[in-house]
Amino acid sequence: MVEAIIKLENVWKTYQLDKVEISALRGVSLEIALGGFVSIMGPSGSGKSTLLNMIGCLDIPTKGIVFLGGKDIARLSEDELAYLRGKTIGFVFQEFNILPNLTALENVTLPMVFQAVPLKEREERAKEILSSVGLANRIFHRSTELSGGERQRVAIARAFSNNPEMVIADEPTGNLDSVSGKKIMEILSNFHQKQGKTVVVVTHDPNIAGYSEQIINIHDGQIVVNGKKEKQAL
Amino acid sequence: MNIGPIGEYFNLALRNLKSRQLRSWLTIFGIVIGVFLIISLISLSEGLQDTIMTQLRMMGGDLIFVMPGGDFGDIMTAMIGGVELSNTDIRAIERTRGVEQVVIFPYATEVVRHEGAAKMILLAGIDWNRATKVMKEDMGYQTTEGDFPRTGRREALIGNLVPKDIFPGIKVGDEITVKGRKFQVSGILMSVGSKQDDSMIILDLDDFRSVTGKREGSPMAIVKPNPDFNIDDVVKNIRASLEESGRRRAGDDAPMFSVITSETVSDMVGNIMGVLQVIIIAFASIALIVGGIGIMNTMYTSVRERTREIGIMKAVGAKNSAILTIFLFESAIIGLIGGIGGTLLGIILAKAIEMYGNIHPMFYISASITPGLIIFGLTFSLLVGCLSGFFPARRAAQLKPVDALRRFE
Repeated sequence: MVEAIIKLENVWKTYQLDKVEISALRGVSLEIALGGFVSIMGPSGSGKSTLLNMIGCLDIPTKGIVFLGGKDIARLSEDELAYLRGKTIGFVFQEFNILPNLTALENVTLPMVFQAVPLKEREERAKEILSSVGLANRIFHRSTELSGGERQRVAIARAFSNNPEMVIADEPTGNLDSVSGKKIMEILSNFHQKQGKTVVVVTHDPNIAGYSEQIINIHDGQIVVNGKKEKQAL
Repeated sequence: MNIGPIGEYFNLALRNLKSRQLRSWLTIFGIVIGVFLIISLISLSEGLQDTIMTQLRMMGGDLIFVMPGGDFGDIMTAMIGGVELSNTDIRAIERTRGVEQVVIFPYATEVVRHEGAAKMILLAGIDWNRATKVMKEDMGYQTTEGDFPRTGRREALIGNLVPKDIFPGIKVGDEITVKGRKFQVSGILMSVGSKQDDSMIILDLDDFRSVTGKREGSPMAIVKPNPDFNIDDVVKNIRASLEESGRRRAGDDAPMFSVITSETVSDMVGNIMGVLQVIIIAFASIALIVGGIGIMNTMYTSVRERTREIGIMKAVGAKNSAILTIFLFESAIIGLIGGIGGTLLGIILAKAIEMYGNIHPMFYISASITPGLIIFGLTFSLLVGCLSGFFPARRAAQLKPVDALRRFE
């Protein structure tokens, strides 16, 4: 049996808006296997982002348990969780979210700074990763000097920097043209296939979902489909 | 060189400040003003205190000063208003038990001529027979050239600024003329640390009274007590003598006198300067607190603007302490740079005032810039930076990653 990197047990997430209580997740249970490629799909407002926040350990459930590598994240201190998250999970956001004051190289080394990786080692590693995503000649450029596709590749390089077990991508191609989007998905797919790492992608795009081995469909805060599929060639 | 995470956080803080240069410099400017005021005012007030204390120390600890007026306020009024000790008062002091010597210092401004130049100069009259020993041994007066005048020789002793600023090139043996009478310069005094005293010409008391027409009194008497007597007892005796003499002359309307030792004067000056410094620090601190509020405002704005960045850093593994440190570094850097700038400007202003004092004949002040004052200025500004930045930094550190990322979406 394949070990689960992340496991949700009857997870509820409730927000209080004035006097109205809104449940973004309603009793969600799922397991994501180590080395899997999972797509989370669903219409706007279905709870995709909330689910992604739970899987990424960015948020704590109102009810239920989230296990990361077998540990209940609600029992960890904020600092322990931050350290574990930085070490285990890499994030790619739709808006790229690279820090504008820093160069591409510095953005990629940033997660390693928080893991106290020595300077020389993190620079070498960051250059290697940037080179692997085709940005060897752009390492000293800042966000404003990069195209959208290049920014997203910097964000992916940053997500890979601590050699995490899992990368979570929220609409990673949402703001990109089709060519750049395809390049991004190829990088994520290679990361999964060649290194055996877990990739979780939130997407509206069925073509993107085509890369995945498992598709989770969410509607009104509940999982309506959680199916494994044969990966299709695109 | 690997300087560890703290070094990296410092670099990140520096980058953040550089990316908002105008706002950072404006905030720094607020601190510069506060520290500048503190450094310049404290250095000048300490310099003033040092100058006064040096003069008092030169006078030695065993002298008694007698002035008209009952307390310090009255003394000031008496000195400004020209109230003086009468000859009767002076004789009463001389007759007091335990008094060894009484030196009086009447003074007046007169036109003094030298080689065609005529200047209004402060003249003082001293009885050389009585005063030379006390001036040399107890009051610290020394000559750089020549010697003290001898009675009956129409000689004058000149302050050390006279050959520099008033009659440039005047030397021992030269003549000066006051109201048609010629006096020969017998000596030039070493600086006593007071612009006024260093610009003065001292004549024999009889000559002084003769040329100025001031036949009576003195604004102050300096008493050297007999060493066999306790100085406090002599003070009491003088007070009693003056009261008795005053009552005989004027009944209940007898004038009040202050009889104080140089130690009392030192304490009094020390106390006044201490209060003055507290007031200066309090007012300058208000400016620094305003600067601190500026830092707080900048940092809160920065936290708000960079909420998403904070979320990203947390998502990629930044602990609360890392975020807190980065933001605290930013406010500390603002405080420290403001402190360095304010200290430099404060030193420049204090030195400029000191230089002006050296040039201007009636204005003498020195700036006391000590390592302690510089360290105080820098530490205080750093502290203001850290304290002002603490609450915004804590707010940044306590942001939940999911909330920070969701903000502004």
